[in-house]
Amino acid sequence: MKKSERSKMPLPSSELKFTLPDVDTFKLANALDVIFVKRNSLPILRLNLIINGGSNTDPVGKKGLANLFSMMIDEGAGGYNGLELMDEFDILGSNFDISCNNDGLYLGLRTLKENADRSIDLFSKIITDPHFDEISFAREKRKLITRLMQLKDDPEEIASSVFEYTVFGKEDPYAFTAMGKEEDISNITVEDIKNFYRNYFVPNNAALIAVGNITKEELTDKLNKYLHKWAPKILNIDKYKCKTKESPGIYIIHKDESVQSEIRIGHLSEKRDKRDIFPSTLLNNILGGQFSSRINLNLREDKGYTYGAFSRFNYFKDNAIFYVSTSAGIENTGKAVAEIIKELNLIKEGVTEKELDFAKSSTIRKFPSNFETNRQVAYNLTTKYLYNLPDDYYDTYIDKIRNVSINEVNKAALDHIHPEKLTILIVGDKNKLIPQLKEISKDKITELDYLGKEVSVI
Amino acid sequence: MNILNLEYDKYKLNNGLEVILHQNDNHPLVSVNIWYKAGSSNERKGKTGIAHLFEHMMFQGSLNVPKEMHFRYIQEAGGTLNGSTNFDRTNYYEKVPSNFLELILWLESDRMGLLLPSLTQEKLNNQIDVVRNERLERYDNQPYGLAWETLINNLYPKDHPYSWPTIGYVADINSYTLKDVKDFFKTYYAPSNACLTIAGNFDKKIAGELVDKYFGDLKNSKIPAEIVIPPVDLKENIIITRKENVQLERIYLAWASEKAFDPFDSSLDFLGDILSGSKNARLYKNLVYDKELAQDISAYQFSGKYAGHFMIVATAKPGGSLSTLKDEIFRELENVSEKGVTSREIFRSKNGIKSSFIYSMQNVESLADQLNYYNFYCGEPNSFNADLTRYENVTNEDIKECVNKYLKNNYVELRISPSNGNED
Repeated sequence: MKKSERSKMPLPSSELKFTLPDVDTFKLANALDVIFVKRNSLPILRLNLIINGGSNTDPVGKKGLANLFSMMIDEGAGGYNGLELMDEFDILGSNFDISCNNDGLYLGLRTLKENADRSIDLFSKIITDPHFDEISFAREKRKLITRLMQLKDDPEEIASSVFEYTVFGKEDPYAFTAMGKEEDISNITVEDIKNFYRNYFVPNNAALIAVGNITKEELTDKLNKYLHKWAPKILNIDKYKCKTKESPGIYIIHKDESVQSEIRIGHLSEKRDKRDIFPSTLLNNILGGQFSSRINLNLREDKGYTYGAFSRFNYFKDNAIFYVSTSAGIENTGKAVAEIIKELNLIKEGVTEKELDFAKSSTIRKFPSNFETNRQVAYNLTTKYLYNLPDDYYDTYIDKIRNVSINEVNKAALDHIHPEKLTILIVGDKNKLIPQLKEISKDKITELDYLGKEVSVI
Repeated sequence: MNILNLEYDKYKLNNGLEVILHQNDNHPLVSVNIWYKAGSSNERKGKTGIAHLFEHMMFQGSLNVPKEMHFRYIQEAGGTLNGSTNFDRTNYYEKVPSNFLELILWLESDRMGLLLPSLTQEKLNNQIDVVRNERLERYDNQPYGLAWETLINNLYPKDHPYSWPTIGYVADINSYTLKDVKDFFKTYYAPSNACLTIAGNFDKKIAGELVDKYFGDLKNSKIPAEIVIPPVDLKENIIITRKENVQLERIYLAWASEKAFDPFDSSLDFLGDILSGSKNARLYKNLVYDKELAQDISAYQFSGKYAGHFMIVATAKPGGSLSTLKDEIFRELENVSEKGVTSREIFRSKNGIKSSFIYSMQNVESLADQLNYYNFYCGEPNSFNADLTRYENVTNEDIKECVNKYLKNNYVELRISPSNGNED
């Protein structure tokens, strides 16, 4: 081909035809919400059960309860002990998984169509008839305590958990990671686990998302057959009580002779349903949401301080934070922190039309690929359920993004990025970090231990 | 199985570029995936890490694509992209809305043929910094992060290309000049040393024409010479102990085994699964669940184009003893070697493999990569069924025999313990 032909970027061939999957929402007799998407391209099916209430429900002194509950729920159910239960799933080639975060518990099932009935039967046994026996409980508790001990080795985990603990102010329900506190785990009893099940694990506090190769009739029949024992209850659940207290400043956690530092910089933000979600999405896309965003291009592709640097608004159900995260060679940490702060100040001066066009284009055109796999579809429906998003959220998503103005993005930067109240937290060798940090700021530096407790002020 | 039988077209351009086209209209997406037959095996001692560093340079723009624009063009199209390097090969892949296929072919062909005019010292210096940070983040600053490189370093003979880590050693990474990088490109980055796979929603005729248009006139170069691989033969057990800044003791055991798709490769995969792949797996159940001697355990077969090894890794519970773990592991291996495994265990592993094949078909990007994978190792992209058959044919005798053949030989043992703790 001619040289001149190669010098021009090719244009897209035609407009893309993409239709969102049809979503069918209905309630079972026991008040369980079912959100169903039929997809027949492969003989597989995914079910996700969401329980409202994760580690944000952990009582004071028992941080880690919801997560320990999640470790216990598949340790025996409906006539099978924990080992037998997993063997039944494995023999079918089905996968059961469970996770717990601040806002909820998520039980997942992936099965071949030919094994859907048996798999849903087993999945339902876990939901309706878990055993919670003492022997399993003691074992899972020991496993968790050891796991918490191991986290001391992981600088990324330490940075993220202590950053959230500090920004949320040590008492807010969101100040704690789902895994909880080592000192609290020993206070948790099997009775606490059973109480959690009674209080939160009820159909009218849950939703079931089903995506895959099954008809609505088949699905409904199976769910009615296997979940009918699961009875609704009057809910007695406390509302979130906000106890945030930010203490902006510079914090370090010493890791002897570390060759690299983990960096988290940010502050509290506004919860998702109280804000301009579309301008904020585009703002973060420009600032630090992807590879080609300002922060990564500066810190990685220009300065070479890091392997990658990103920013995000992390929305919890009832609160939110904004932060930049990266890791940098220990000798470049001060400079990396200074560049991040510079970028946070700079974004408040406004973005360009070109940047906004880029952010819109990438967000809009990427949209169809968020619905490729059953897991992705289920994830999007989970988000919609958890944040109580409007029914037409995904249908109108592209138009809403397209209609955001540059003024709205610039206003979002002024409203949501606050360089004047940053919590700067760094995990690394303090002897190498302190001189660098003194160079970029006259503020005091507080040393914390890996749990976030103050060690000294420098 | 029918759904695992993928229809495809495969052909070669005059310049030697292999092309695989697989149409899958489930979603309006298309994935482009290129494998270059160049990995860290093509390096030599003292010059490690260049294949991976070179992968980074491929994202720095080419003759018609300014720096940073490679990423930008694709992200502006709503696409995702990345690349990866291992012992055997380097791959580059994108997933975009299907109407942007031509954009990707333009970008991939520009860097396949016309990368050198845009390479600068400044770009190289920058990416050396980035790769050094990558090494820190993924290895040096990770707990137990250097275990892999210690093991392969001791298991494979000094001149074996699997004896150094793909990321490379820092001194080597720092040493690279523009000339090194350009030479690497000239040797390995030619159409005749690559395979281009397109999978997803596209028109075959149009895609074929676009491939011709963008790749057809790229210059061929001499196919690099096959590398010579020394045999792996441990003369004795090698025991290494290390103190590190970690909380728990961990033991690694590694035996030389077989390369990918050799007769016992699939049996060794099953052995790994039967030992540690599920809650009921033998070592997991015994050591993690019942006796609580270990916090975690994993056993698996690693296999590449030139060699393979079988590895078992176990982390001791606080106060636990690595020697006890080791005894338990060897007792179980002896047990398998004598009595074999149950039909239920084999059945469980088979069903796990079969269903994971089917689940993986959802993602057009993993399909494209898998087609390239089979083409690279088997010479036939549509090998899902053949591969499944390979697993379905594993017998109890095979599992016993693979233990006898490989896991009774000399091994490398690495013990990592806390720097402030007591010796075991």
